[in-house]
Amino acid sequence: MSTLLYRRNTIQNINELIASAPTASSQLTNDHRASLSARFRAVNATSNRRLDAWMVEQAGRPYDPFHWTPQIARRVLGTSALRRINSRSDLSLSQAVRDELADHLLRSTAGYTQSGSLSYWLSGLSHASLGLVCAEAVTWATTTYEVLQGIERPWQLAQSDAYYDVSAARTSLRGRRDIVINHDEQRVVLRLRAGSPGKSSGPGLRSDLTIDALASPTGSAASRFIGVWPDAGVCLSVDGTMADLRAGARDLVRTAVVQQRGQLLKAA
Amino acid sequence: MTILAPNSPLSAIEALRGDKTKRPLSDLSSASGLRAQLEDGIYSIVGKASPLSPLIVRSSSLRQHHNTTDIQQASLSLFRGILVTQVLRLLSVGVEVTDPFSEALSAWRCEKSGSELVRSFNQLDKEQVARLEADVNAHASTLKRSLGTVSATWLPRSCVRASQRFAGGHVLLFDVVDLMVGSTTSELASVALFDVTTSPLDAGAERTMRFHALMQTLKTSVVPLRTSIFSSATGELWTSDVDYEILSRSADEVLSALNDMWKYV
Repeated sequence: MSTLLYRRNTIQNINELIASAPTASSQLTNDHRASLSARFRAVNATSNRRLDAWMVEQAGRPYDPFHWTPQIARRVLGTSALRRINSRSDLSLSQAVRDELADHLLRSTAGYTQSGSLSYWLSGLSHASLGLVCAEAVTWATTTYEVLQGIERPWQLAQSDAYYDVSAARTSLRGRRDIVINHDEQRVVLRLRAGSPGKSSGPGLRSDLTIDALASPTGSAASRFIGVWPDAGVCLSVDGTMADLRAGARDLVRTAVVQQRGQLLKAA
Repeated sequence: MTILAPNSPLSAIEALRGDKTKRPLSDLSSASGLRAQLEDGIYSIVGKASPLSPLIVRSSSLRQHHNTTDIQQASLSLFRGILVTQVLRLLSVGVEVTDPFSEALSAWRCEKSGSELVRSFNQLDKEQVARLEADVNAHASTLKRSLGTVSATWLPRSCVRASQRFAGGHVLLFDVVDLMVGSTTSELASVALFDVTTSPLDAGAERTMRFHALMQTLKTSVVPLRTSIFSSATGELWTSDVDYEILSRSADEVLSALNDMWKYV
Protein backbone atom coordinates (compact mmCIF):
# COMPACT_ATOMS: atom_id res chain seq x y z
CA MET A 1 0.00 0.00 0.00
CA SER A 2 1.29 3.43 -0.93
CA THR A 3 1.93 5.88 1.89
CA LEU A 4 1.71 8.92 -0.38
CA LEU A 5 0.18 11.93 1.38
CA TYR A 6 -0.90 15.20 -0.18
CA ARG A 7 -0.96 18.39 1.87
CA ARG A 8 -0.99 22.17 1.40
CA ASN A 9 2.43 23.69 1.90
CA THR A 10 1.90 25.49 5.19
CA ILE A 11 4.15 25.66 8.25
CA GLN A 12 1.62 23.71 10.27
CA ASN A 13 1.30 20.92 7.71
CA ILE A 14 5.06 20.50 7.27
CA ASN A 15 5.60 20.37 11.03
CA GLU A 16 2.77 17.88 11.35
CA LEU A 17 4.26 15.69 8.61
CA ILE A 18 7.61 15.79 10.38
CA ALA A 19 6.16 15.09 13.81
CA SER A 20 3.96 12.25 12.62
CA ALA A 21 6.71 10.47 10.67
CA PRO A 22 6.86 6.74 11.53
CA THR A 23 9.28 5.91 14.32
CA ALA A 24 10.78 3.00 12.41
CA SER A 25 11.90 2.77 8.82
CA SER A 26 13.05 -0.05 6.59
CA GLN A 27 16.60 -0.98 5.82
CA LEU A 28 18.10 -2.10 2.54
CA THR A 29 20.41 -5.08 2.94
CA ASN A 30 23.23 -6.34 0.72
CA ASP A 31 20.75 -8.80 -0.82
CA HIS A 32 18.54 -5.90 -1.87
CA ARG A 33 21.51 -4.10 -3.40
CA ALA A 34 22.61 -7.25 -5.25
CA SER A 35 19.11 -7.82 -6.55
CA LEU A 36 18.85 -4.23 -7.83
CA SER A 37 22.24 -4.51 -9.46
CA ALA A 38 21.19 -7.72 -11.25
CA ARG A 39 18.07 -6.03 -12.58
CA PHE A 40 20.01 -3.06 -13.90
CA ARG A 41 22.62 -5.38 -15.45
CA ALA A 42 19.82 -7.09 -17.33
CA VAL A 43 19.08 -3.80 -19.07
CA ASN A 44 21.95 -3.32 -21.48
CA ALA A 45 23.64 0.04 -21.34
CA THR A 46 25.72 1.19 -24.29
CA SER A 47 27.15 4.01 -22.23
CA ASN A 48 27.08 5.12 -18.63
CA ARG A 49 23.53 5.59 -17.49
CA ARG A 50 22.44 8.30 -15.07
CA LEU A 51 18.99 8.14 -13.56
CA ASP A 52 17.12 10.43 -11.24
CA ALA A 53 13.59 11.18 -10.07
CA TRP A 54 13.01 13.67 -12.87
CA MET A 55 13.65 10.95 -15.46
CA VAL A 56 11.23 8.67 -13.65
CA GLU A 57 8.60 11.41 -13.76
CA GLN A 58 9.25 12.01 -17.44
CA ALA A 59 8.91 8.29 -18.17
CA GLY A 60 12.49 8.01 -19.43
CA ARG A 61 12.09 10.69 -22.08
CA PRO A 62 15.56 11.61 -23.34
CA TYR A 63 17.19 14.73 -21.95
CA ASP A 64 18.50 17.67 -23.89
CA PRO A 65 22.26 17.83 -23.42
CA PHE A 66 23.08 19.43 -20.07
CA HIS A 67 24.12 23.04 -20.03
CA TRP A 68 24.14 25.51 -17.18
CA THR A 69 21.37 28.07 -16.97
CA PRO A 70 20.49 30.53 -14.19
CA GLN A 71 17.57 28.23 -13.25
CA ILE A 72 19.87 25.24 -12.84
CA ALA A 73 22.59 27.17 -11.03
CA ARG A 74 20.20 28.73 -8.52
CA ARG A 75 19.82 25.65 -6.34
CA VAL A 76 23.56 25.05 -5.99
CA LEU A 77 24.29 28.71 -5.27
CA GLY A 78 21.21 29.29 -3.14
CA THR A 79 21.83 26.27 -0.92
CA SER A 80 25.51 27.15 -0.49
CA ALA A 81 24.47 30.69 0.44
CA LEU A 82 22.16 29.29 3.13
CA ARG A 83 25.06 27.27 4.51
CA ARG A 84 27.08 30.47 4.74
CA ILE A 85 24.29 32.16 6.66
CA ASN A 86 24.19 29.25 9.08
CA SER A 87 27.76 29.91 10.05
CA ARG A 88 27.61 33.71 9.76
CA SER A 89 24.28 35.13 10.87
CA ASP A 90 25.31 38.73 10.08
CA LEU A 91 25.16 37.99 6.34
CA SER A 92 22.07 38.76 4.31
CA LEU A 93 20.90 36.23 1.74
CA SER A 94 21.88 38.45 -1.19
CA GLN A 95 25.31 39.06 0.32
CA ALA A 96 25.78 35.33 0.91
CA VAL A 97 24.86 34.60 -2.72
CA ARG A 98 27.24 37.31 -3.93
CA ASP A 99 30.03 35.84 -1.77
CA GLU A 100 29.32 32.42 -3.21
CA LEU A 101 29.49 33.80 -6.76
CA ALA A 102 32.73 35.58 -5.93
CA ASP A 103 34.23 32.32 -4.64
CA HIS A 104 33.33 30.54 -7.88
CA LEU A 105 34.85 33.33 -9.96
CA LEU A 106 37.97 33.32 -7.80
CA ARG A 107 38.32 29.56 -8.28
CA SER A 108 38.04 30.06 -11.99
CA THR A 109 40.63 32.84 -12.02
CA ALA A 110 43.00 30.64 -10.03
CA GLY A 111 42.64 27.95 -12.68
CA TYR A 112 41.01 25.37 -10.43
CA THR A 113 37.99 24.83 -12.65
CA GLN A 114 37.22 22.35 -15.36
CA SER A 115 35.33 23.02 -18.53
CA GLY A 116 31.64 22.32 -17.89
CA SER A 117 31.78 23.16 -14.20
CA LEU A 118 29.60 25.83 -12.63
CA SER A 119 32.60 28.06 -11.89
CA TYR A 120 33.75 27.79 -15.49
CA TRP A 121 30.32 28.73 -16.81
CA LEU A 122 29.99 31.65 -14.40
CA SER A 123 33.40 32.99 -15.38
CA GLY A 124 32.23 33.38 -18.98
CA LEU A 125 29.10 35.38 -18.13
CA SER A 126 28.65 39.12 -18.50
CA HIS A 127 28.13 41.36 -15.47
CA ALA A 128 24.38 41.53 -16.17
CA SER A 129 24.03 37.77 -16.62
CA LEU A 130 25.81 37.26 -13.30
CA GLY A 131 23.28 39.67 -11.81
CA LEU A 132 20.47 37.52 -13.14
CA VAL A 133 22.08 34.35 -11.76
CA CYS A 134 22.34 36.17 -8.43
CA ALA A 135 18.64 37.17 -8.60
CA GLU A 136 17.61 33.56 -9.33
CA ALA A 137 19.80 32.20 -6.52
CA VAL A 138 18.51 34.79 -4.03
CA THR A 139 14.93 33.87 -4.93
CA TRP A 140 15.66 30.15 -4.45
CA ALA A 141 17.54 30.75 -1.20
CA THR A 142 14.73 32.95 0.16
CA THR A 143 12.08 30.38 -0.70
CA THR A 144 14.10 27.66 1.06
CA TYR A 145 14.77 30.01 3.98
CA GLU A 146 11.03 30.57 4.40
CA VAL A 147 10.51 26.80 4.61
CA LEU A 148 13.38 26.44 7.09
CA GLN A 149 12.07 29.27 9.27
CA GLY A 150 8.88 27.34 9.89
CA ILE A 151 10.43 23.99 10.88
CA GLU A 152 10.19 23.52 14.63
CA ARG A 153 12.64 20.63 15.02
CA PRO A 154 16.41 21.05 14.55
CA TRP A 155 17.29 20.77 10.89
CA GLN A 156 20.37 20.81 8.76
CA LEU A 157 20.93 21.48 5.09
CA ALA A 158 21.86 18.32 3.22
CA GLN A 159 25.60 18.22 2.59
CA SER A 160 25.04 16.94 -0.94
CA ASP A 161 22.53 15.13 -3.09
CA ALA A 162 22.43 11.33 -2.75
CA TYR A 163 24.53 9.44 -5.29
CA TYR A 164 24.64 5.68 -5.70
CA ASP A 165 26.68 3.78 -8.22
CA VAL A 166 25.04 0.45 -9.06
CA SER A 167 27.86 -2.05 -9.11
CA ALA A 168 28.79 -3.55 -12.49
CA ALA A 169 25.71 -2.06 -14.16
CA ARG A 170 27.18 1.16 -15.56
CA THR A 171 24.39 2.97 -13.78
CA SER A 172 24.53 5.82 -11.34
CA LEU A 173 21.52 7.08 -9.45
CA ARG A 174 21.11 10.62 -8.18
CA GLY A 175 18.55 11.61 -5.59
CA ARG A 176 17.75 15.16 -4.61
CA ARG A 177 17.58 16.19 -0.96
CA ASP A 178 17.69 19.66 0.53
CA ILE A 179 16.92 19.55 4.25
CA VAL A 180 17.46 16.76 6.78
CA ILE A 181 15.73 16.62 10.15
CA ASN A 182 17.21 14.16 12.61
CA HIS A 183 15.12 13.49 15.67
CA ASP A 184 15.69 10.50 17.99
CA GLU A 185 15.92 7.58 15.60
CA GLN A 186 13.93 9.34 12.90
CA ARG A 187 15.38 10.95 9.80
CA VAL A 188 13.00 13.07 7.75
CA VAL A 189 14.22 14.44 4.43
CA LEU A 190 12.75 17.43 2.58
CA ARG A 191 13.21 18.04 -1.10
CA LEU A 192 12.22 21.35 -2.74
CA ARG A 193 11.20 21.57 -6.36
CA ALA A 194 10.09 24.41 -8.61
CA GLY A 195 6.85 24.20 -10.59
CA SER A 196 3.93 22.07 -9.58
CA PRO A 197 3.64 18.33 -8.99
CA GLY A 198 2.17 16.17 -11.72
CA LYS A 199 0.60 12.75 -11.69
CA SER A 200 4.02 11.08 -11.62
CA SER A 201 5.43 13.13 -8.77
CA GLY A 202 4.65 10.36 -6.27
CA PRO A 203 6.83 7.83 -8.14
CA GLY A 204 9.51 10.53 -8.44
CA LEU A 205 9.46 11.09 -4.70
CA ARG A 206 9.67 7.33 -4.04
CA SER A 207 12.68 7.14 -6.35
CA ASP A 208 14.42 9.84 -4.35
CA LEU A 209 13.55 7.96 -1.16
CA THR A 210 15.08 4.77 -2.57
CA ILE A 211 18.24 6.48 -3.85
CA ASP A 212 18.65 8.21 -0.48
CA ALA A 213 18.44 4.82 1.28
CA LEU A 214 20.87 3.21 -1.20
CA ALA A 215 23.34 6.06 -0.69
CA SER A 216 23.23 5.56 3.07
CA PRO A 217 26.09 3.25 4.20
CA THR A 218 23.70 1.40 6.52
CA GLY A 219 20.97 1.24 3.92
CA SER A 220 18.44 2.75 6.30
CA ALA A 221 15.66 4.69 4.66
CA ALA A 222 14.40 8.06 5.83
CA SER A 223 11.32 7.55 7.96
CA ARG A 224 9.54 10.08 5.78
CA PHE A 225 10.50 11.82 2.55
CA ILE A 226 8.69 15.11 1.93
CA GLY A 227 8.59 16.82 -1.44
CA VAL A 228 7.77 20.52 -1.28
CA TRP A 229 6.59 22.52 -4.30
CA PRO A 230 6.55 26.11 -3.01
CA ASP A 231 5.35 27.54 -6.37
CA ALA A 232 2.23 25.40 -6.20
CA GLY A 233 1.88 25.61 -2.42
CA VAL A 234 1.75 21.83 -2.19
CA CYS A 235 3.72 19.11 -0.45
CA LEU A 236 3.69 15.34 -0.87
CA SER A 237 5.27 12.76 1.35
CA VAL A 238 6.10 9.08 1.31
CA ASP A 239 7.19 6.89 4.21
CA GLY A 240 10.32 4.77 4.26
CA THR A 241 8.47 1.47 4.12
CA MET A 242 9.79 -1.53 2.21
CA ALA A 243 6.82 -1.31 -0.18
CA ASP A 244 7.72 2.28 -1.09
CA LEU A 245 11.42 1.45 -1.42
CA ARG A 246 10.58 -1.44 -3.73
CA ALA A 247 8.22 0.73 -5.78
CA GLY A 248 10.95 3.37 -6.09
CA ALA A 249 13.51 0.79 -7.26
CA ARG A 250 11.01 -0.69 -9.73
CA ASP A 251 10.35 2.75 -11.24
CA LEU A 252 14.07 3.37 -11.66
CA VAL A 253 14.56 0.02 -13.42
CA ARG A 254 11.52 0.69 -15.63
CA THR A 255 12.97 4.06 -16.59
CA ALA A 256 16.22 2.35 -17.58
CA VAL A 257 14.24 -0.10 -19.73
CA VAL A 258 12.30 2.71 -21.43
CA GLN A 259 15.52 4.59 -22.08
CA GLN A 260 17.14 1.52 -23.58
CA ARG A 261 14.13 0.92 -25.83
CA GLY A 262 14.28 4.53 -26.95
CA GLN A 263 17.96 4.18 -27.80
CA LEU A 264 17.30 0.97 -29.77
CA LEU A 265 14.49 2.63 -31.73
CA LYS A 266 16.71 5.62 -32.43
CA ALA A 267 19.50 3.33 -33.66
CA ALA A 268 17.07 1.41 -35.88
CA MET B 1 6.46 58.58 -27.15
CA THR B 2 7.64 57.91 -23.61
CA ILE B 3 7.45 60.77 -21.13
CA LEU B 4 9.52 60.64 -17.98
CA ALA B 5 7.55 61.38 -14.86
CA PRO B 6 8.87 63.91 -12.32
CA ASN B 7 10.61 62.66 -9.22
CA SER B 8 8.31 60.95 -6.78
CA PRO B 9 8.61 62.17 -3.18
CA LEU B 10 8.68 58.58 -1.93
CA SER B 11 10.26 55.49 -3.45
CA ALA B 12 7.97 52.71 -4.59
CA ILE B 13 9.58 50.26 -2.19
CA GLU B 14 9.15 52.63 0.76
CA ALA B 15 5.50 53.06 -0.16
CA LEU B 16 5.08 49.30 -0.34
CA ARG B 17 6.63 48.62 3.02
CA GLY B 18 4.58 51.39 4.64
CA ASP B 19 4.42 52.03 8.37
CA LYS B 20 5.72 48.98 10.21
CA THR B 21 3.72 49.77 13.33
CA LYS B 22 0.40 49.65 11.48
CA ARG B 23 0.67 46.15 10.05
CA PRO B 24 -2.15 43.73 10.81
CA LEU B 25 -1.65 40.17 12.03
CA SER B 26 -1.06 37.59 9.29
CA ASP B 27 -4.35 36.26 7.97
CA LEU B 28 -4.00 32.48 7.77
CA SER B 29 -7.68 31.62 7.45
CA SER B 30 -8.94 33.30 4.28
CA ALA B 31 -7.25 31.00 1.78
CA SER B 32 -9.55 28.04 2.36
CA GLY B 33 -12.66 30.17 1.85
CA LEU B 34 -11.28 31.51 -1.43
CA ARG B 35 -10.46 28.00 -2.63
CA ALA B 36 -14.01 26.93 -1.86
CA GLN B 37 -15.40 29.99 -3.66
CA LEU B 38 -13.33 29.15 -6.75
CA GLU B 39 -14.14 25.43 -6.70
CA ASP B 40 -17.87 26.11 -6.34
CA GLY B 41 -17.80 28.77 -9.05
CA ILE B 42 -15.85 26.56 -11.44
CA TYR B 43 -18.31 23.72 -10.89
CA SER B 44 -21.20 26.02 -11.71
CA ILE B 45 -19.47 26.94 -15.01
CA VAL B 46 -17.87 23.70 -16.12
CA GLY B 47 -20.07 21.22 -14.29
CA LYS B 48 -18.95 17.62 -14.69
CA ALA B 49 -17.56 18.21 -18.17
CA SER B 50 -13.94 17.31 -18.85
CA PRO B 51 -12.38 19.74 -21.33
CA LEU B 52 -9.80 18.16 -23.63
CA SER B 53 -7.16 20.59 -22.52
CA PRO B 54 -7.15 22.49 -19.21
CA LEU B 55 -8.52 26.01 -19.09
CA ILE B 56 -5.66 28.33 -18.18
CA VAL B 57 -6.07 31.67 -16.44
CA ARG B 58 -3.20 34.12 -16.16
CA SER B 59 -3.17 37.77 -15.18
CA SER B 60 -3.21 38.60 -18.91
CA SER B 61 -6.51 36.67 -19.22
CA LEU B 62 -8.10 39.25 -16.93
CA ARG B 63 -6.86 42.17 -18.98
CA GLN B 64 -8.31 41.16 -22.32
CA HIS B 65 -11.19 38.93 -23.29
CA HIS B 66 -9.56 36.66 -25.85
CA ASN B 67 -5.89 36.48 -25.15
CA THR B 68 -3.81 34.76 -27.75
CA THR B 69 -0.05 35.11 -27.90
CA ASP B 70 1.31 34.65 -31.36
CA ILE B 71 5.06 34.47 -31.06
CA GLN B 72 5.45 35.30 -34.73
CA GLN B 73 3.73 38.59 -34.09
CA ALA B 74 5.56 39.33 -30.87
CA SER B 75 5.53 43.08 -30.85
CA LEU B 76 8.14 45.48 -29.63
CA SER B 77 6.02 46.17 -26.57
CA LEU B 78 6.33 42.53 -25.55
CA PHE B 79 10.14 42.71 -25.75
CA ARG B 80 10.05 46.04 -23.94
CA GLY B 81 8.10 44.48 -21.10
CA ILE B 82 10.48 41.52 -20.87
CA LEU B 83 13.57 43.70 -20.84
CA VAL B 84 12.22 46.16 -18.27
CA THR B 85 11.40 43.20 -16.02
CA GLN B 86 15.00 42.04 -16.38
CA VAL B 87 16.16 45.50 -15.28
CA LEU B 88 13.95 45.19 -12.20
CA ARG B 89 15.45 41.79 -11.40
CA LEU B 90 18.95 43.22 -11.59
CA LEU B 91 18.01 46.22 -9.43
CA SER B 92 16.41 43.93 -6.84
CA VAL B 93 19.78 42.35 -6.03
CA GLY B 94 21.68 45.62 -6.01
CA VAL B 95 23.26 45.41 -9.47
CA GLU B 96 24.29 48.83 -10.77
CA VAL B 97 22.54 49.08 -14.12
CA THR B 98 24.32 51.64 -16.28
CA ASP B 99 23.23 50.55 -19.75
CA PRO B 100 19.72 49.15 -19.22
CA PHE B 101 19.03 47.87 -22.74
CA SER B 102 22.31 46.00 -23.24
CA GLU B 103 22.39 44.62 -19.73
CA ALA B 104 18.76 43.51 -19.76
CA LEU B 105 19.26 41.90 -23.15
CA SER B 106 22.38 40.09 -21.98
CA ALA B 107 20.53 38.80 -18.89
CA TRP B 108 17.50 37.74 -20.92
CA ARG B 109 19.61 35.90 -23.49
CA CYS B 110 21.43 34.09 -20.67
CA GLU B 111 18.09 33.03 -19.19
CA LYS B 112 16.21 32.11 -22.36
CA SER B 113 18.92 31.20 -24.84
CA GLY B 114 17.43 29.22 -27.70
CA SER B 115 13.81 30.14 -26.95
CA GLU B 116 11.45 31.06 -29.73
CA LEU B 117 11.09 34.59 -28.38
CA VAL B 118 14.85 35.15 -28.49
CA ARG B 119 14.89 33.89 -32.06
CA SER B 120 12.05 36.26 -32.84
CA PHE B 121 14.01 39.11 -31.28
CA ASN B 122 17.05 38.27 -33.39
CA GLN B 123 14.94 38.79 -36.50
CA LEU B 124 14.21 42.45 -35.67
CA ASP B 125 15.81 44.92 -38.06
CA LYS B 126 18.25 47.61 -36.91
CA GLU B 127 15.63 50.32 -36.85
CA GLN B 128 13.32 48.29 -34.62
CA VAL B 129 16.18 47.44 -32.25
CA ALA B 130 17.19 51.11 -32.04
CA ARG B 131 13.61 52.10 -31.25
CA LEU B 132 13.35 49.37 -28.65
CA GLU B 133 16.65 50.42 -27.08
CA ALA B 134 15.50 54.02 -26.69
CA ASP B 135 12.21 52.83 -25.27
CA VAL B 136 13.74 50.38 -22.78
CA ASN B 137 16.29 52.95 -21.59
CA ALA B 138 13.54 55.49 -20.96
CA HIS B 139 11.34 53.00 -19.09
CA ALA B 140 14.30 51.73 -17.07
CA SER B 141 15.22 55.27 -16.15
CA THR B 142 11.71 55.88 -14.75
CA LEU B 143 11.85 52.58 -12.90
CA LYS B 144 15.28 53.20 -11.40
CA ARG B 145 14.29 56.65 -10.23
CA SER B 146 11.06 55.51 -8.63
CA LEU B 147 11.97 52.12 -7.21
CA GLY B 148 14.38 53.13 -4.46
CA THR B 149 16.79 50.81 -2.70
CA VAL B 150 15.60 47.26 -2.11
CA SER B 151 17.08 46.28 1.24
CA ALA B 152 18.39 42.72 1.43
CA THR B 153 16.78 42.36 4.86
CA TRP B 154 13.35 42.58 3.22
CA LEU B 155 13.95 39.24 1.53
CA PRO B 156 13.44 40.40 -2.06
CA ARG B 157 12.72 37.72 -4.63
CA SER B 158 12.01 38.31 -8.27
CA CYS B 159 9.90 36.52 -10.90
CA VAL B 160 8.05 34.59 -8.22
CA ARG B 161 5.86 31.96 -9.84
CA ALA B 162 2.62 30.52 -8.60
CA SER B 163 0.38 27.83 -10.01
CA GLN B 164 -2.88 26.40 -8.70
CA ARG B 165 -5.06 23.54 -9.93
CA PHE B 166 -8.80 23.43 -9.63
CA ALA B 167 -11.54 21.07 -10.75
CA GLY B 168 -9.22 18.08 -10.68
CA GLY B 169 -6.67 19.79 -12.92
CA HIS B 170 -9.16 20.98 -15.56
CA VAL B 171 -8.59 24.59 -14.55
CA LEU B 172 -5.10 25.96 -14.02
CA LEU B 173 -4.20 29.35 -12.62
CA PHE B 174 -0.71 30.68 -13.34
CA ASP B 175 0.96 33.82 -12.14
CA VAL B 176 4.35 35.50 -12.00
CA VAL B 177 4.98 38.41 -9.65
CA ASP B 178 7.89 40.61 -10.74
CA LEU B 179 9.11 41.42 -7.24
CA MET B 180 8.05 40.27 -3.81
CA VAL B 181 9.38 41.42 -0.43
CA GLY B 182 8.60 40.37 3.13
CA SER B 183 8.21 37.09 4.92
CA THR B 184 5.28 34.68 5.01
CA THR B 185 6.42 33.26 8.34
CA SER B 186 6.21 36.45 10.42
CA GLU B 187 3.37 37.04 12.87
CA LEU B 188 2.45 40.33 11.23
CA ALA B 189 1.54 40.54 7.56
CA SER B 190 4.62 41.75 5.71
CA VAL B 191 4.53 40.38 2.16
CA ALA B 192 4.29 43.09 -0.49
CA LEU B 193 3.88 42.34 -4.18
CA PHE B 194 5.24 44.65 -6.87
CA ASP B 195 4.46 44.35 -10.55
CA VAL B 196 5.86 46.45 -13.36
CA THR B 197 4.05 47.21 -16.57
CA THR B 198 5.28 49.27 -19.46
CA SER B 199 1.72 50.34 -20.32
CA PRO B 200 -0.25 53.11 -18.65
CA LEU B 201 -2.35 51.88 -15.72
CA ASP B 202 -6.02 51.10 -16.35
CA ALA B 203 -8.79 48.93 -14.94
CA GLY B 204 -6.93 45.84 -16.18
CA ALA B 205 -3.98 46.81 -13.99
CA GLU B 206 -6.24 46.81 -10.94
CA ARG B 207 -7.43 43.30 -11.79
CA THR B 208 -3.81 42.22 -12.17
CA MET B 209 -2.94 43.58 -8.73
CA ARG B 210 -5.83 41.69 -7.18
CA PHE B 211 -4.96 38.50 -9.07
CA HIS B 212 -1.38 38.58 -7.76
CA ALA B 213 -2.71 38.89 -4.22
CA LEU B 214 -5.19 36.06 -4.77
CA MET B 215 -2.56 33.71 -6.19
CA GLN B 216 -0.11 34.51 -3.42
CA THR B 217 -2.82 33.77 -0.85
CA LEU B 218 -3.76 30.48 -2.49
CA LYS B 219 -0.13 29.44 -2.78
CA THR B 220 1.11 30.21 0.73
CA SER B 221 -2.22 30.27 2.60
CA VAL B 222 -1.04 33.62 3.99
CA VAL B 223 -2.73 36.85 2.87
CA PRO B 224 -0.13 39.39 1.70
CA LEU B 225 0.02 42.84 3.23
CA ARG B 226 -0.04 44.88 0.06
CA THR B 227 -0.16 44.54 -3.70
CA SER B 228 0.97 47.14 -6.19
CA ILE B 229 1.56 47.85 -9.83
CA PHE B 230 3.95 50.40 -11.29
CA SER B 231 3.82 51.84 -14.77
CA SER B 232 7.23 52.62 -16.17
CA ALA B 233 5.49 54.57 -18.93
CA THR B 234 3.91 57.14 -16.62
CA GLY B 235 5.77 56.63 -13.34
CA GLU B 236 2.46 55.95 -11.59
CA LEU B 237 2.31 53.50 -8.70
CA TRP B 238 -0.97 51.98 -7.60
CA THR B 239 -0.89 50.20 -4.29
CA SER B 240 -3.61 48.59 -2.26
CA ASP B 241 -3.78 46.88 1.13
CA VAL B 242 -5.04 43.33 0.74
CA ASP B 243 -8.18 42.20 2.52
CA TYR B 244 -10.76 39.46 2.00
CA GLU B 245 -12.97 41.71 -0.11
CA ILE B 246 -10.20 42.32 -2.66
CA LEU B 247 -9.36 38.62 -2.80
CA SER B 248 -12.97 37.57 -3.18
CA ARG B 249 -13.44 40.13 -5.95
CA SER B 250 -10.43 38.71 -7.74
CA ALA B 251 -11.87 35.20 -7.41
CA ASP B 252 -15.06 36.53 -9.06
CA GLU B 253 -12.98 38.05 -11.86
CA VAL B 254 -11.22 34.72 -12.41
CA LEU B 255 -14.60 33.00 -12.61
CA SER B 256 -15.87 35.60 -15.05
CA ALA B 257 -12.80 35.09 -17.28
CA LEU B 258 -13.35 31.32 -17.09
CA ASN B 259 -16.98 31.76 -18.02
CA ASP B 260 -15.94 33.68 -21.14
CA MET B 261 -13.38 31.02 -22.02
CA TRP B 262 -15.87 28.21 -21.50
CA LYS B 263 -18.18 29.70 -24.13
CA TYR B 264 -15.50 29.12 -26.75
CA VAL B 265 -14.52 25.60 -25.70
